Amino acid sequence: MAIIEEISEFLQKGRAKNVKTLVQQALDEGQDPKVILNEGLLSGMMVIGEKFKNNEVFVPEVLVAARAMNAGITILEPKLVEIGNEPVGVAVIGTVKGDLHDIGKNLVTMMLKGAGFEVHDIGIDVETEAFIDKAEEVNADLICMSALLTTTMPNMQVVIDALKEKGLRDKYIVMVGGAPVNESFAEQIGADYYTPDAATCAEVAKKAVLERKGQ
Amino acid sequence: MNSIERFMNTVERKPVDRPACWLGMPDIKAQPALMEEFGVTNMHDLKLAIGDDVYTVEVPYKSETASAIYAAFDWYQDGDVDAEERTLTAPGFFAEAEEPEEVDNFDWPDPEKYISLEECEKLFQQAPEDKVILGMMWSAHFQDTCAAFGMETALMNMISNPEIYEAVDAKVMEFYLKANEIFYKAAKGRMHAVLIGNDMGSQRGLMLSPDMVRRFIIPGCKKLVEQAHSYGMKVIYHSCGSIVDVIPDLIEAGVDVVHPIQALAAGMQPQNLKDKFEGKVSFCGGVDTQDLLVNGTAEDVKKKVQELRGIFPTGLIISPSHEAIMPDVPPTNIRALFDAATEGQEG
Repeated sequence: MAIIEEISEFLQKGRAKNVKTLVQQALDEGQDPKVILNEGLLSGMMVIGEKFKNNEVFVPEVLVAARAMNAGITILEPKLVEIGNEPVGVAVIGTVKGDLHDIGKNLVTMMLKGAGFEVHDIGIDVETEAFIDKAEEVNADLICMSALLTTTMPNMQVVIDALKEKGLRDKYIVMVGGAPVNESFAEQIGADYYTPDAATCAEVAKKAVLERKGQ
Repeated sequence: MNSIERFMNTVERKPVDRPACWLGMPDIKAQPALMEEFGVTNMHDLKLAIGDDVYTVEVPYKSETASAIYAAFDWYQDGDVDAEERTLTAPGFFAEAEEPEEVDNFDWPDPEKYISLEECEKLFQQAPEDKVILGMMWSAHFQDTCAAFGMETALMNMISNPEIYEAVDAKVMEFYLKANEIFYKAAKGRMHAVLIGNDMGSQRGLMLSPDMVRRFIIPGCKKLVEQAHSYGMKVIYHSCGSIVDVIPDLIEAGVDVVHPIQALAAGMQPQNLKDKFEGKVSFCGGVDTQDLLVNGTAEDVKKKVQELRGIFPTGLIISPSHEAIMPDVPPTNIRALFDAATEGQEG
Protein backbone atom coordinates (compact mmCIF):
# COMPACT_ATOMS: atom_id res chain seq x y z
CA MET A 1 0.00 0.00 0.00
CA ALA A 2 1.30 3.45 -0.86
CA ILE A 3 2.35 5.39 2.17
CA ILE A 4 -0.22 8.16 1.57
CA GLU A 5 -3.01 5.61 1.55
CA GLU A 6 -1.61 4.04 4.69
CA ILE A 7 -1.70 7.41 6.44
CA SER A 8 -5.36 7.75 5.52
CA GLU A 9 -6.15 4.20 6.69
CA PHE A 10 -4.42 4.60 10.05
CA LEU A 11 -6.08 7.98 10.57
CA GLN A 12 -9.50 6.41 10.04
CA LYS A 13 -8.65 3.84 12.71
CA GLY A 14 -7.56 6.61 15.08
CA ARG A 15 -4.00 5.34 15.32
CA ALA A 16 -2.17 8.58 16.10
CA LYS A 17 1.28 7.06 16.67
CA ASN A 18 1.24 5.25 13.33
CA VAL A 19 0.06 8.38 11.55
CA LYS A 20 2.88 10.42 13.09
CA THR A 21 5.51 7.88 12.11
CA LEU A 22 4.19 7.54 8.58
CA VAL A 23 3.92 11.29 8.00
CA GLN A 24 7.56 11.66 9.10
CA GLN A 25 8.53 8.74 6.86
CA ALA A 26 6.68 10.26 3.91
CA LEU A 27 8.47 13.56 4.43
CA ASP A 28 11.81 11.77 4.69
CA GLU A 29 11.04 10.03 1.42
CA GLY A 30 10.55 13.43 -0.15
CA GLN A 31 6.78 13.31 -0.62
CA ASP A 32 5.08 16.66 -1.27
CA PRO A 33 3.73 17.97 2.10
CA LYS A 34 0.57 19.16 0.33
CA VAL A 35 -0.08 15.65 -0.98
CA ILE A 36 0.50 14.17 2.48
CA LEU A 37 -1.96 16.70 3.90
CA ASN A 38 -4.67 16.54 1.26
CA GLU A 39 -4.54 12.95 0.10
CA GLY A 40 -3.42 11.36 3.36
CA LEU A 41 -4.71 13.26 6.36
CA LEU A 42 -7.65 15.29 5.07
CA SER A 43 -8.98 12.61 2.76
CA GLY A 44 -8.93 10.15 5.69
CA MET A 45 -10.86 12.63 7.78
CA MET A 46 -13.36 13.10 4.95
CA VAL A 47 -14.06 9.37 4.91
CA ILE A 48 -14.70 9.50 8.66
CA GLY A 49 -16.97 12.53 8.18
CA GLU A 50 -19.01 10.73 5.55
CA LYS A 51 -19.35 7.65 7.75
CA PHE A 52 -20.33 9.82 10.71
CA LYS A 53 -23.02 11.47 8.63
CA ASN A 54 -24.39 8.04 7.76
CA ASN A 55 -24.25 6.75 11.35
CA GLU A 56 -21.62 4.19 10.39
CA VAL A 57 -19.19 5.61 12.92
CA PHE A 58 -19.96 7.63 16.04
CA VAL A 59 -18.44 10.35 18.21
CA PRO A 60 -15.61 8.27 19.74
CA GLU A 61 -14.38 7.17 16.32
CA VAL A 62 -14.45 10.77 15.07
CA LEU A 63 -12.51 11.91 18.13
CA VAL A 64 -9.69 9.39 17.75
CA ALA A 65 -9.49 10.08 14.02
CA ALA A 66 -9.24 13.82 14.69
CA ARG A 67 -6.55 13.17 17.30
CA ALA A 68 -4.61 11.18 14.71
CA MET A 69 -5.09 13.94 12.13
CA ASN A 70 -3.77 16.53 14.57
CA ALA A 71 -0.77 14.32 15.36
CA GLY A 72 0.06 14.15 11.66
CA ILE A 73 -0.46 17.86 11.12
CA THR A 74 1.91 18.68 13.98
CA ILE A 75 4.70 16.86 12.11
CA LEU A 76 3.71 18.41 8.81
CA GLU A 77 3.12 21.98 9.94
CA PRO A 78 6.67 23.39 9.70
CA LYS A 79 6.91 22.13 6.12
CA LEU A 80 3.50 23.55 5.23
CA VAL A 81 4.53 26.94 6.59
CA GLU A 82 7.77 26.73 4.67
CA ILE A 83 6.00 26.20 1.35
CA GLY A 84 3.30 28.76 2.18
CA ASN A 85 0.35 26.38 2.10
CA GLU A 86 -2.91 28.32 2.40
CA PRO A 87 -5.93 26.96 4.27
CA VAL A 88 -9.25 26.56 2.42
CA GLY A 89 -10.59 29.36 4.57
CA VAL A 90 -10.60 30.78 8.06
CA ALA A 91 -13.42 30.01 10.50
CA VAL A 92 -14.37 31.39 13.88
CA ILE A 93 -16.54 29.07 15.94
CA GLY A 94 -18.19 29.19 19.36
CA THR A 95 -21.22 28.30 21.45
CA VAL A 96 -23.45 31.33 21.93
CA LYS A 97 -23.90 33.38 25.08
CA GLY A 98 -25.59 31.51 27.91
CA ASP A 99 -24.85 28.06 26.52
CA LEU A 100 -22.13 25.77 27.87
CA HIS A 101 -22.60 22.83 25.54
CA ASP A 102 -19.57 22.14 23.44
CA ILE A 103 -19.57 18.60 22.08
CA GLY A 104 -21.32 19.54 18.84
CA LYS A 105 -19.21 22.63 18.43
CA ASN A 106 -16.02 20.63 18.99
CA LEU A 107 -17.08 18.07 16.40
CA VAL A 108 -17.67 20.83 13.87
CA THR A 109 -14.23 22.24 14.68
CA MET A 110 -12.65 18.86 13.97
CA MET A 111 -14.54 18.43 10.71
CA LEU A 112 -13.68 21.95 9.54
CA LYS A 113 -10.01 21.28 10.24
CA GLY A 114 -10.44 18.02 8.39
CA ALA A 115 -11.76 19.98 5.42
CA GLY A 116 -8.65 22.17 5.41
CA PHE A 117 -9.88 25.19 7.35
CA GLU A 118 -7.89 27.24 9.82
CA VAL A 119 -10.26 27.20 12.79
CA HIS A 120 -10.37 29.60 15.73
CA ASP A 121 -12.46 28.00 18.46
CA ILE A 122 -13.48 30.74 20.89
CA GLY A 123 -15.20 28.37 23.28
CA ILE A 124 -18.52 28.42 25.09
CA ASP A 125 -20.82 31.12 26.46
CA VAL A 126 -19.34 33.51 23.88
CA GLU A 127 -20.29 37.19 23.99
CA THR A 128 -21.64 38.75 20.79
CA GLU A 129 -18.68 41.10 20.48
CA ALA A 130 -16.20 38.25 20.90
CA PHE A 131 -17.48 36.53 17.75
CA ILE A 132 -17.13 39.71 15.76
CA ASP A 133 -13.83 40.84 17.24
CA LYS A 134 -12.23 37.46 16.57
CA ALA A 135 -13.58 37.30 13.03
CA GLU A 136 -12.17 40.74 12.31
CA GLU A 137 -8.86 39.94 13.98
CA VAL A 138 -8.18 36.76 12.01
CA ASN A 139 -9.80 37.98 8.81
CA ALA A 140 -12.26 35.10 8.88
CA ASP A 141 -14.42 33.89 6.01
CA LEU A 142 -16.86 32.08 8.23
CA ILE A 143 -18.60 32.55 11.57
CA CYS A 144 -20.10 29.35 13.03
CA MET A 145 -22.45 29.45 16.02
CA SER A 146 -23.75 26.56 18.07
CA ALA A 147 -26.56 26.27 20.64
CA LEU A 148 -28.19 23.35 22.40
CA LEU A 149 -30.88 25.21 24.31
CA THR A 150 -34.04 26.84 22.99
CA THR A 151 -33.38 29.61 25.49
CA THR A 152 -29.97 30.47 23.98
CA MET A 153 -30.79 30.07 20.27
CA PRO A 154 -32.02 33.68 20.04
CA ASN A 155 -28.46 34.83 20.80
CA MET A 156 -27.50 33.70 17.30
CA GLN A 157 -29.75 36.42 15.97
CA VAL A 158 -28.15 38.93 18.32
CA VAL A 159 -24.76 38.26 16.71
CA ILE A 160 -26.20 38.56 13.20
CA ASP A 161 -27.95 41.82 14.10
CA ALA A 162 -24.71 43.17 15.57
CA LEU A 163 -22.89 42.27 12.35
CA LYS A 164 -25.56 44.18 10.40
CA GLU A 165 -25.29 47.21 12.67
CA LYS A 166 -21.55 47.34 12.10
CA GLY A 167 -22.00 46.96 8.36
CA LEU A 168 -20.12 43.65 8.45
CA ARG A 169 -22.90 41.18 7.72
CA ASP A 170 -21.95 40.56 4.10
CA LYS A 171 -18.29 40.16 4.92
CA TYR A 172 -18.86 36.79 6.57
CA ILE A 173 -20.62 33.56 5.80
CA VAL A 174 -22.70 32.78 8.91
CA MET A 175 -23.53 29.16 9.76
CA VAL A 176 -25.65 27.91 12.64
CA GLY A 177 -26.28 24.51 14.17
CA GLY A 178 -27.22 22.60 17.30
CA ALA A 179 -29.97 20.23 18.38
CA PRO A 180 -32.98 22.59 18.38
CA VAL A 181 -31.80 24.66 15.39
CA ASN A 182 -33.35 24.03 11.98
CA GLU A 183 -33.52 25.40 8.47
CA SER A 184 -36.47 27.69 9.07
CA PHE A 185 -34.91 29.17 12.21
CA ALA A 186 -31.71 29.85 10.27
CA GLU A 187 -33.72 31.62 7.57
CA GLN A 188 -35.72 33.56 10.12
CA ILE A 189 -32.61 34.98 11.83
CA GLY A 190 -30.82 35.67 8.57
CA ALA A 191 -28.04 33.09 8.78
CA ASP A 192 -26.55 31.84 5.51
CA TYR A 193 -26.61 28.13 6.28
CA TYR A 194 -27.93 25.58 8.74
CA THR A 195 -26.53 22.07 8.60
CA PRO A 196 -27.79 19.12 10.64
CA ASP A 197 -24.42 17.56 11.43
CA ALA A 198 -20.73 18.37 11.68
CA ALA A 199 -19.63 16.61 8.51
CA THR A 200 -22.25 18.35 6.38
CA CYS A 201 -21.24 21.65 7.98
CA ALA A 202 -17.66 21.17 6.78
CA GLU A 203 -18.79 20.23 3.27
CA VAL A 204 -21.15 23.18 2.95
CA ALA A 205 -18.59 25.56 4.48
CA LYS A 206 -15.92 24.50 2.00
CA LYS A 207 -18.24 24.87 -0.97
CA ALA A 208 -19.51 28.26 0.20
CA VAL A 209 -16.05 29.67 0.86
CA LEU A 210 -14.62 28.40 -2.42
CA GLU A 211 -17.60 29.82 -4.31
CA ARG A 212 -17.16 33.16 -2.64
CA LYS A 213 -13.48 33.15 -3.53
CA GLY A 214 -14.46 32.34 -7.09
CA GLN A 215 -12.70 28.96 -7.09
CA MET B 1 -58.90 5.64 39.33
CA ASN B 2 -56.31 7.24 41.60
CA SER B 3 -52.87 8.39 40.48
CA ILE B 4 -51.09 5.26 41.65
CA GLU B 5 -53.49 2.86 39.92
CA ARG B 6 -53.41 4.99 36.81
CA PHE B 7 -49.60 5.11 36.74
CA MET B 8 -49.24 1.38 37.29
CA ASN B 9 -51.81 0.59 34.62
CA THR B 10 -50.15 2.98 32.17
CA VAL B 11 -46.75 1.40 32.81
CA GLU B 12 -48.16 -2.11 32.51
CA ARG B 13 -50.12 -1.11 29.40
CA LYS B 14 -53.49 -1.95 30.96
CA PRO B 15 -56.68 0.10 30.46
CA VAL B 16 -56.79 3.55 32.13
CA ASP B 17 -59.44 6.24 32.59
CA ARG B 18 -56.84 8.58 31.10
CA PRO B 19 -53.09 8.10 30.81
CA ALA B 20 -50.88 9.05 33.73
CA CYS B 21 -49.12 12.38 33.34
CA TRP B 22 -46.04 14.00 34.81
CA LEU B 23 -45.03 17.65 34.87
CA GLY B 24 -41.34 16.81 34.99
CA MET B 25 -38.98 19.02 36.96
CA PRO B 26 -39.30 22.61 35.72
CA ASP B 27 -36.12 24.67 35.68
CA ILE B 28 -35.93 26.99 38.66
CA LYS B 29 -36.26 30.00 36.32
CA ALA B 30 -39.48 28.57 34.84
CA GLN B 31 -41.15 27.99 38.20
CA PRO B 32 -42.39 31.51 39.12
CA ALA B 33 -44.45 31.91 35.94
CA LEU B 34 -45.90 28.41 36.30
CA MET B 35 -46.90 29.08 39.91
CA GLU B 36 -48.50 32.36 38.88
CA GLU B 37 -50.46 30.67 36.09
CA PHE B 38 -51.93 28.15 38.50
CA GLY B 39 -52.38 30.59 41.40
CA VAL B 40 -50.11 28.77 43.84
CA THR B 41 -47.02 29.80 45.76
CA ASN B 42 -44.90 26.67 45.85
CA MET B 43 -44.03 23.66 43.72
CA HIS B 44 -45.81 21.23 46.01
CA ASP B 45 -49.11 23.05 45.48
CA LEU B 46 -48.38 23.42 41.77
CA LYS B 47 -48.13 19.65 41.36
CA LEU B 48 -51.46 19.21 43.11
CA ALA B 49 -53.16 22.02 41.19
CA ILE B 50 -51.97 20.80 37.84
CA GLY B 51 -53.26 17.25 38.24
CA ASP B 52 -49.79 15.67 38.22
CA ASP B 53 -49.89 11.96 39.02
CA VAL B 54 -46.25 11.92 40.04
CA TYR B 55 -44.46 13.32 43.06
CA THR B 56 -40.68 13.30 42.78
CA VAL B 57 -38.20 12.81 45.59
CA GLU B 58 -34.44 13.22 45.50
CA VAL B 59 -31.79 11.62 47.66
CA PRO B 60 -30.93 14.02 50.51
CA TYR B 61 -27.19 14.01 49.88
CA LYS B 62 -24.89 16.54 51.48
CA SER B 63 -21.10 16.38 51.54
CA GLU B 64 -18.31 18.93 51.92
CA THR B 65 -18.37 19.55 48.15
CA ALA B 66 -21.87 18.64 46.98
CA SER B 67 -25.46 19.35 47.86
CA ALA B 68 -26.93 16.84 45.41
CA ILE B 69 -26.03 13.27 44.62
CA TYR B 70 -25.55 13.97 40.93
CA ALA B 71 -22.72 16.31 41.94
CA ALA B 72 -21.13 13.87 44.40
CA PHE B 73 -17.80 13.51 42.62
CA ASP B 74 -15.34 16.38 42.82
CA TRP B 75 -13.60 15.55 39.55
CA TYR B 76 -12.08 19.01 39.33
CA GLN B 77 -10.69 19.03 42.87
CA ASP B 78 -11.82 22.59 43.42
CA GLY B 79 -14.52 21.96 45.98
CA ASP B 80 -17.19 23.34 43.67
CA VAL B 81 -18.77 20.56 41.67
CA ASP B 82 -21.65 22.68 40.39
CA ALA B 83 -19.55 25.48 38.89
CA GLU B 84 -21.72 26.99 36.20
CA GLU B 85 -18.98 27.86 33.77
CA ARG B 86 -17.75 24.29 33.36
CA THR B 87 -18.20 22.46 30.09
CA LEU B 88 -18.88 18.81 29.41
CA THR B 89 -15.39 18.37 28.09
CA ALA B 90 -13.47 20.09 30.91
CA PRO B 91 -10.58 17.82 31.96
CA GLY B 92 -11.43 15.85 35.09
CA PHE B 93 -9.35 14.11 37.75
CA PHE B 94 -8.57 11.16 35.44
CA ALA B 95 -7.75 13.25 32.35
CA GLU B 96 -4.18 11.91 32.24
CA ALA B 97 -4.80 8.49 33.79
CA GLU B 98 -3.60 5.46 31.87
CA GLU B 99 -3.51 2.54 34.30
CA PRO B 100 -6.59 1.02 35.97
CA GLU B 101 -4.76 1.07 39.33
CA GLU B 102 -4.88 4.86 39.21
CA VAL B 103 -8.55 4.76 40.25
CA ASP B 104 -7.35 4.42 43.82
CA ASN B 105 -5.77 7.87 43.68
CA PHE B 106 -9.21 9.47 43.83
CA ASP B 107 -10.95 10.12 47.12
CA TRP B 108 -14.18 8.21 46.37
CA PRO B 109 -17.06 9.49 48.51
CA ASP B 110 -18.82 7.04 50.80
CA PRO B 111 -22.58 7.62 50.41
CA GLU B 112 -23.20 6.31 53.91
CA LYS B 113 -21.48 9.39 55.29
CA TYR B 114 -23.52 11.84 53.27
CA ILE B 115 -27.09 10.53 53.11
CA SER B 116 -29.07 11.44 56.20
CA LEU B 117 -31.61 8.77 57.16
CA GLU B 118 -33.48 11.35 59.17
CA GLU B 119 -33.83 13.55 56.07
CA CYS B 120 -34.96 10.53 54.05
CA GLU B 121 -37.68 9.83 56.61
CA LYS B 122 -38.83 13.46 56.54
CA LEU B 123 -38.97 13.36 52.75
CA PHE B 124 -41.22 10.32 52.63
CA GLN B 125 -43.44 11.63 55.40
CA GLN B 126 -44.05 14.82 53.41
CA ALA B 127 -44.87 12.94 50.22
CA PRO B 128 -48.59 12.75 49.41
CA GLU B 129 -50.01 9.27 49.92
CA ASP B 130 -52.19 9.35 46.83
CA LYS B 131 -49.46 10.20 44.31
CA VAL B 132 -46.85 8.05 42.63
CA ILE B 133 -43.58 8.58 44.48
CA LEU B 134 -40.81 8.70 41.90
CA GLY B 135 -37.18 8.63 43.08
CA MET B 136 -34.99 10.77 40.83
CA MET B 137 -31.96 8.53 41.22
CA TRP B 138 -30.25 9.31 37.89
CA SER B 139 -27.23 7.13 38.79
CA ALA B 140 -25.73 8.46 35.57
CA HIS B 141 -22.59 6.37 35.59
CA PHE B 142 -21.80 6.96 31.92
CA GLN B 143 -22.07 10.74 32.25
CA ASP B 144 -20.09 10.74 35.49
CA THR B 145 -17.37 8.59 34.01
CA CYS B 146 -17.22 10.97 31.06
CA ALA B 147 -16.84 13.90 33.46
CA ALA B 148 -14.17 11.99 35.40
CA PHE B 149 -11.88 12.20 32.37
CA GLY B 150 -13.42 15.04 30.39
CA MET B 151 -15.97 13.82 27.88
CA GLU B 152 -13.78 13.67 24.80
CA THR B 153 -10.96 11.89 26.62
CA ALA B 154 -13.44 9.40 28.07
CA LEU B 155 -14.94 8.62 24.67
CA MET B 156 -11.48 8.19 23.15
CA ASN B 157 -10.46 5.93 26.03
CA MET B 158 -13.38 3.68 25.19
CA ILE B 159 -11.47 2.88 22.01
CA SER B 160 -7.82 3.23 22.94
CA ASN B 161 -7.77 2.32 26.64
CA PRO B 162 -11.09 0.72 27.59
CA GLU B 163 -9.59 -0.77 30.78
CA ILE B 164 -9.11 2.64 32.40
CA TYR B 165 -12.60 3.73 31.36
CA GLU B 166 -14.14 0.57 32.81
CA ALA B 167 -12.13 0.83 36.04
CA VAL B 168 -13.50 4.32 36.73
CA ASP B 169 -17.01 3.34 35.67
CA ALA B 170 -16.92 0.38 38.08
CA LYS B 171 -16.10 2.70 41.00
CA VAL B 172 -18.88 5.11 40.01
CA MET B 173 -21.32 2.21 39.79
CA GLU B 174 -20.23 0.96 43.20
CA PHE B 175 -21.03 4.38 44.65
CA TYR B 176 -24.49 4.54 43.10
CA LEU B 177 -25.48 0.99 43.99
CA LYS B 178 -24.56 1.67 47.62
CA ALA B 179 -26.30 5.06 47.70
CA ASN B 180 -29.44 3.65 46.10
CA GLU B 181 -29.49 0.77 48.56
CA ILE B 182 -29.49 3.24 51.46
CA PHE B 183 -32.30 5.29 49.93
CA TYR B 184 -34.42 2.30 48.91
CA LYS B 185 -34.20 0.84 52.40
CA ALA B 186 -35.12 4.18 53.95
CA ALA B 187 -38.17 4.40 51.65
CA LYS B 188 -39.60 1.28 53.30
CA GLY B 189 -41.71 0.46 50.29
CA ARG B 190 -43.16 3.95 49.90
CA MET B 191 -41.48 4.63 46.56
CA HIS B 192 -43.28 3.31 43.48
CA ALA B 193 -40.74 3.98 40.77
CA VAL B 194 -37.29 5.34 40.09
CA LEU B 195 -35.79 7.28 37.22
CA ILE B 196 -32.24 6.41 36.20
CA GLY B 197 -30.39 7.18 33.02
CA ASN B 198 -27.64 8.62 30.90
CA ASP B 199 -27.77 10.91 27.90
CA MET B 200 -26.45 8.84 25.03
CA GLY B 201 -28.35 10.24 22.05
CA SER B 202 -27.93 13.26 19.83
CA GLN B 203 -30.55 14.84 17.60
CA ARG B 204 -29.64 12.58 14.71
CA GLY B 205 -28.49 9.33 16.28
CA LEU B 206 -26.58 7.71 19.08
CA MET B 207 -23.36 9.31 20.33
CA LEU B 208 -21.81 5.86 20.65
CA SER B 209 -22.26 2.87 18.41
CA PRO B 210 -24.87 0.37 19.59
CA ASP B 211 -22.01 -2.06 20.28
CA MET B 212 -20.29 0.45 22.53
CA VAL B 213 -23.56 1.21 24.33
CA ARG B 214 -23.89 -2.54 24.93
CA ARG B 215 -20.38 -2.78 26.29
CA PHE B 216 -20.13 0.40 28.36
CA ILE B 217 -23.65 1.41 29.41
CA ILE B 218 -26.06 -1.52 29.37
CA PRO B 219 -24.29 -3.67 32.02
CA GLY B 220 -24.56 -0.82 34.55
CA CYS B 221 -28.15 -0.20 33.53
CA LYS B 222 -28.94 -3.86 34.16
CA LYS B 223 -27.50 -3.79 37.68
CA LEU B 224 -29.43 -0.64 38.56
CA VAL B 225 -32.66 -2.07 37.14
CA GLU B 226 -32.26 -5.34 39.04
CA GLN B 227 -31.63 -3.43 42.24
CA ALA B 228 -34.77 -1.29 41.85
CA HIS B 229 -36.87 -4.29 40.84
CA SER B 230 -35.72 -6.16 43.94
CA TYR B 231 -37.51 -3.41 45.91
CA GLY B 232 -40.63 -3.82 43.78
CA MET B 233 -40.23 -0.52 41.94
CA LYS B 234 -40.79 0.31 38.30
CA VAL B 235 -37.80 1.69 36.39
CA ILE B 236 -37.96 4.67 34.06
CA TYR B 237 -34.79 5.01 31.96
CA HIS B 238 -33.87 8.47 30.70
CA SER B 239 -31.78 9.39 27.72
CA CYS B 240 -32.11 12.52 25.64
CA GLY B 241 -31.80 12.27 21.90
CA SER B 242 -32.25 9.54 19.35
CA ILE B 243 -31.84 6.18 21.09
CA VAL B 244 -34.23 4.07 19.06
CA ASP B 245 -31.45 1.65 18.07
CA VAL B 246 -30.72 0.63 21.66
CA ILE B 247 -34.27 0.50 23.04
CA PRO B 248 -34.22 -3.30 22.49
CA ASP B 249 -31.15 -3.43 24.76
CA LEU B 250 -32.90 -1.36 27.42
CA ILE B 251 -35.87 -3.71 27.22
CA GLU B 252 -33.55 -6.69 27.63
CA ALA B 253 -31.98 -5.00 30.66
CA GLY B 254 -35.45 -4.93 32.24
CA VAL B 255 -36.36 -1.24 31.81
CA ASP B 256 -40.12 -0.66 32.25
CA VAL B 257 -40.44 2.84 30.77
CA VAL B 258 -38.28 4.79 28.31
CA HIS B 259 -38.11 8.56 28.90
CA PRO B 260 -38.42 11.28 27.49
CA ILE B 261 -39.10 10.51 23.79
CA GLN B 262 -37.28 13.50 22.32
CA ALA B 263 -39.95 13.74 19.68
CA LEU B 264 -37.98 15.64 17.03
CA ALA B 265 -34.88 13.43 17.26
CA ALA B 266 -34.32 10.91 14.48
CA GLY B 267 -36.56 7.85 14.75
CA MET B 268 -38.16 8.99 18.02
CA GLN B 269 -41.57 9.81 16.56
CA PRO B 270 -44.20 8.30 18.88
CA GLN B 271 -45.87 6.34 16.08
CA ASN B 272 -42.55 4.81 15.07
CA LEU B 273 -41.86 3.78 18.67
CA LYS B 274 -45.33 2.29 18.98
CA ASP B 275 -44.89 0.32 15.76
CA LYS B 276 -41.51 -1.00 16.82
CA PHE B 277 -41.99 -1.70 20.51
CA GLU B 278 -45.69 -2.22 21.15
CA GLY B 279 -46.25 -4.58 24.05
CA LYS B 280 -42.57 -4.65 25.01
CA VAL B 281 -41.97 -1.41 26.89
CA SER B 282 -43.83 1.75 27.91
CA PHE B 283 -42.85 5.36 27.41
CA CYS B 284 -42.89 8.68 29.23
CA GLY B 285 -42.72 12.11 27.57
CA GLY B 286 -43.40 12.84 23.95
CA VAL B 287 -44.73 16.42 24.10
CA ASP B 288 -42.01 18.20 22.16
CA THR B 289 -40.02 20.84 24.06
CA GLN B 290 -37.73 21.81 21.19
CA ASP B 291 -40.40 23.58 19.17
CA LEU B 292 -44.03 22.82 20.09
CA LEU B 293 -44.08 23.79 23.77
CA VAL B 294 -41.85 26.81 23.13
CA ASN B 295 -43.37 28.20 19.94
CA GLY B 296 -46.75 26.49 19.56
CA THR B 297 -50.15 27.72 20.70
CA ALA B 298 -52.19 26.14 23.49
CA GLU B 299 -54.40 24.68 20.76
CA ASP B 300 -51.37 23.08 19.05
CA VAL B 301 -50.32 21.54 22.36
CA LYS B 302 -53.81 20.16 23.01
CA LYS B 303 -53.92 18.63 19.54
CA LYS B 304 -50.54 16.98 20.05
CA VAL B 305 -51.60 15.50 23.40
CA GLN B 306 -54.81 14.20 21.81
CA GLU B 307 -52.76 12.68 19.00
CA LEU B 308 -50.43 11.02 21.52
CA ARG B 309 -53.41 9.63 23.42
CA GLY B 310 -54.72 8.25 20.16
CA ILE B 311 -51.43 6.48 19.45
CA PHE B 312 -50.99 5.33 23.03
CA PRO B 313 -54.36 4.83 24.76
CA THR B 314 -52.14 3.39 27.49
CA GLY B 315 -48.41 2.73 27.76
CA LEU B 316 -47.39 6.40 27.60
CA ILE B 317 -47.05 8.70 30.60
CA ILE B 318 -47.84 12.07 29.03
CA SER B 319 -45.04 14.53 29.84
CA PRO B 320 -42.83 17.14 28.19
CA SER B 321 -40.09 15.62 26.05
CA HIS B 322 -37.50 16.97 28.48
CA GLU B 323 -38.03 16.87 32.22
CA ALA B 324 -36.61 20.35 32.79
CA ILE B 325 -39.20 22.77 31.40
CA MET B 326 -37.32 25.93 30.47
CA PRO B 327 -38.47 29.50 31.10
CA ASP B 328 -39.24 30.05 27.41
CA VAL B 329 -42.20 27.65 27.60
CA PRO B 330 -45.41 29.70 28.06
CA PRO B 331 -47.22 28.43 31.20
CA THR B 332 -50.46 28.44 29.21
CA ASN B 333 -48.97 25.64 27.10
CA ILE B 334 -48.34 23.58 30.23
CA ARG B 335 -51.94 24.20 31.25
CA ALA B 336 -53.04 23.05 27.80
CA LEU B 337 -50.88 19.93 28.08
CA PHE B 338 -52.49 18.95 31.38
CA ASP B 339 -56.01 19.93 30.31
CA ALA B 340 -55.74 17.61 27.33
CA ALA B 341 -53.92 14.88 29.25
CA THR B 342 -56.38 14.75 32.13
CA GLU B 343 -59.54 14.92 30.02
CA GLY B 344 -61.84 11.99 30.74
CA GLN B 345 -60.52 11.42 34.24
CA GLU B 346 -62.86 9.43 36.46
CA GLY B 347 -63.27 10.23 40.13
